[in-house]
Amino acid sequence: LTSFFTGKKGVGFLIALIVIAAAPWLLSTSYWRGILVLCAMNVLLALSLNLVMGYTGQLNLGQSAFFGIGAYVSTILIKTYGWNFWLAALAAVGAAGLVGVALAAFAVRLRGHYLAIASLGFAVITYQVLVNWESVTQGVRGMYGILPPVPNAVALFYLVAGIGLLVYFLLDNLVRSPVGDTLRAIREDEVSAAALGVNGAVWKAFAFGLGAAIAGLAGCFYPGFVGTLVPDAFGIVESFTMMAMVIVGGMGTMIGPVIGAVVLTFLPELLRGFGELRLMIYGVALTLVVIFMPGGIVQAWWGLKNKLR
Amino acid sequence: VTDLLALVVQQSVNGIYLGCLYVMVALGLTLIYGVLNQINFAHADFVTVGAFAAFFTATRFATKALGIPDTGAYLLSLFSALGAGALLGWLVSAAVFAPLRRRGADELRPLIATIGVSVLLENGQLALFGPIPYQFDSPLARETIRLGPIFFSGQSALVVAVSVAAIVALYAFMRFTFMGKALRAVAQDRETAGLMGINENLVIALTIVIASALAGVAGAMLGPVVVLTPFTGASLIVKAFAIVIIGGFGNMEGTIIAGLLVGIIEAFTVQYLGSGLIDLVVFAMLLLMLVVRPTGLIAEHKEENV
Repeated sequence: LTSFFTGKKGVGFLIALIVIAAAPWLLSTSYWRGILVLCAMNVLLALSLNLVMGYTGQLNLGQSAFFGIGAYVSTILIKTYGWNFWLAALAAVGAAGLVGVALAAFAVRLRGHYLAIASLGFAVITYQVLVNWESVTQGVRGMYGILPPVPNAVALFYLVAGIGLLVYFLLDNLVRSPVGDTLRAIREDEVSAAALGVNGAVWKAFAFGLGAAIAGLAGCFYPGFVGTLVPDAFGIVESFTMMAMVIVGGMGTMIGPVIGAVVLTFLPELLRGFGELRLMIYGVALTLVVIFMPGGIVQAWWGLKNKLR
Repeated sequence: VTDLLALVVQQSVNGIYLGCLYVMVALGLTLIYGVLNQINFAHADFVTVGAFAAFFTATRFATKALGIPDTGAYLLSLFSALGAGALLGWLVSAAVFAPLRRRGADELRPLIATIGVSVLLENGQLALFGPIPYQFDSPLARETIRLGPIFFSGQSALVVAVSVAAIVALYAFMRFTFMGKALRAVAQDRETAGLMGINENLVIALTIVIASALAGVAGAMLGPVVVLTPFTGASLIVKAFAIVIIGGFGNMEGTIIAGLLVGIIEAFTVQYLGSGLIDLVVFAMLLLMLVVRPTGLIAEHKEENV
């Protein structure tokens, strides 16, 4: 732990703290503060997907479902049953995690594109349940007047960004521990890992469950942030957005998804001046990054640094 | 009893017509997957492009500029949709799939890259055509054909006829032409096919062009029966994937059977459970299929995928 305070990592965290503390005062309009909250949530989501996709190598297109489960379970417990926010959040994180473990049952049997489509199907089913189970979720009419756990956008940003930093710290330690080696072994070659005594089923369930729980945690803050809750916020497009963040930033690295989340949250906003061209540029940029920077921004940066040396 | 029987037959007919549309979309995905082992996520957006190409050919160009009557104009528009799909397929093959292949990309990157293409196409069409739905009138949709107690529109007869013709043409191409044989060879073993002097890049490009042309024609037939917006095709993509998986990835016969099956199930779901539950039923079926028989209806011997 002493090395953490004196080493490069400690400096990184100090810088992260300063950036988080200063951000709402540098971008001080209420519009940009909203974008900051969104950015912090996206960082959490990208981190959650990266654990499953980047470190464990499981092609998961269903992450939007866990985001939605977190949002709906917490909101229903608060609004219908009068629970306290934190208790509801705890239950929602647990529910998302359990469903994540259930989805891992598919990951045990399926690989590659099959798992991708199975998880996509899972996301579609979750979305359809949110739409059709009107007695509980209010369907497409949605729920209104949802309050955030803290009084204003700056506090909400500090809260979510703080949680993001904590999750980053914990995951960073996790992936450098023997557990991280186990997950990477499954990613690189599952059969060889099994030959060395790694129980693939258990560790996939662990990665899916933990990833789902983190996405569910991000979901707890979303309804209070926008004030309303409709199923459309958790369509499969959300899964693609998360995946784009992970890939553009650099899959399988810790800092990559964070960079990806920040870039892809702010890029569309900066392109707002281009009007309808905005999302077209976004699409082209995504395709170009995948073709020309296969390792994402992080690897491109490392490559550039090595060249200059 | 005769009423019930008539209803069942009527819904089966509706289902087959719907299923033929799905087959036209899903076949392209299967073809590309079979040859390339990659997924083109923008495939369903080619359907939308085909639908718009047909719409403007039928309602603006053919009737107004050339003075062709309604039915002829619509039939002509099928060919413009085919051309638009093929052109788009060639562009995506050259600009996305070929560079990724040269860089030795894994299975994930083409998927993400084509998600980018999909975003580009949807929003490009949104900028060009706007969000307001287009009314695409096919003269054939107005005709009703009656066979005893069973009714169907001229449009559904056309859909079934064109789909059957396309499938027959595709099989004939695969079986009897040199390029078709080359295509099957590349699908079986790309490296060996290359060593045998087959130009694999040409074959792969051709596969994507054929697949995209099918999607374009599907769009021209789909346009008049749905609400035509820049996102019409996108609503199909997930269902098309479900069909491809249920049929067994890369397997043409499986895809045809699965497409018809999903169409029929959808028709009966609408009849008995309500249209809101279509996706739920189809995807429950998909997940069940993946648990019980992950290789699909017709298994290919590709152990490493499952």
